[in-house]
Amino acid sequence: MRALVIDDSRAMRRIVGSILEDFGYETRQAGDGRQALDVLEEGYLPDLACVDWNMPVMDGLQFVSAVRSNPAYRSVTLMMVTTESETSQIVRALAAGAHEYMIKPFTADAMRDKLALLGLLPQEVSL
Amino acid sequence: MSEHASSLVQQPITDVLDATTVQRIADDVWTALVGDGEVLVPLPVPAPEQTVSAWVQITGPWCGAVVVTCDQPTGVALTECLLRARPPAVIEPEDVDDALGELANVLGGNVKSLLPEPSSLGLPQTGPTPPASRPEDLCRVDAQWRGQSLTITVQGATGAPHAERNEVPQ
Repeated sequence: MRALVIDDSRAMRRIVGSILEDFGYETRQAGDGRQALDVLEEGYLPDLACVDWNMPVMDGLQFVSAVRSNPAYRSVTLMMVTTESETSQIVRALAAGAHEYMIKPFTADAMRDKLALLGLLPQEVSL
Repeated sequence: MSEHASSLVQQPITDVLDATTVQRIADDVWTALVGDGEVLVPLPVPAPEQTVSAWVQITGPWCGAVVVTCDQPTGVALTECLLRARPPAVIEPEDVDDALGELANVLGGNVKSLLPEPSSLGLPQTGPTPPASRPEDLCRVDAQWRGQSLTITVQGATGAPHAERNEVPQ
């Protein structure tokens, strides 16, 4: 499985990417929504995109809306991974087209549970 | 005080949260980001002379910042942990800015969730420790990580309106 990790923090990209790689994912990274769209336009179509909310250039909500408006990216599952934890913000993200929502800080176990809910946990991990 | 003036008054942060709450948030952040078994011990040690700070600003009914402050070597060590770097890793100054900024960002996001809505979070910034507002509008955790001083403050913006400024002079 392939994942695109989108966060303006290199440290957070490393943390999220490391967790996903432990679960068997191949990962790529992008520093903001615009860079992430460039990756998609190059033809890299991930199974999962982990999307930070607050980023320069193009934020996570704008990225989610852009992906959802393009039928070519319909197969990409979008998970917001953010510090925005208010219910109103979660509703905004889900309304924009995010499938799942993860609040920072989180543990690897929490990520595994979310992936399992989405059916995106490789079988060898879920066993 | 008029109704209009009252609406401009910023409630002190200590009315909303205390140091114990900030410590609890930090405990979760340390475990998740810094690493399993990494503990921010709530026992102050002497503050270093030279420090680096990272912070995020919060704007809304309460305006201020969540600030993380430590010395440079501690910042580098934290960065190594966040980047999952194995020594001898090359840690650049921008890596330290990024890692401390992300710590401030996650701490700030969790603090924001306790504040009245609507509040918004700015992007992380780093630099000299920003000046604190009045003591009444400041919540501070003096702690140590790996024996070194680390401070987390939730501090009102210096320009934020406070009750005293809006009171009608006697």
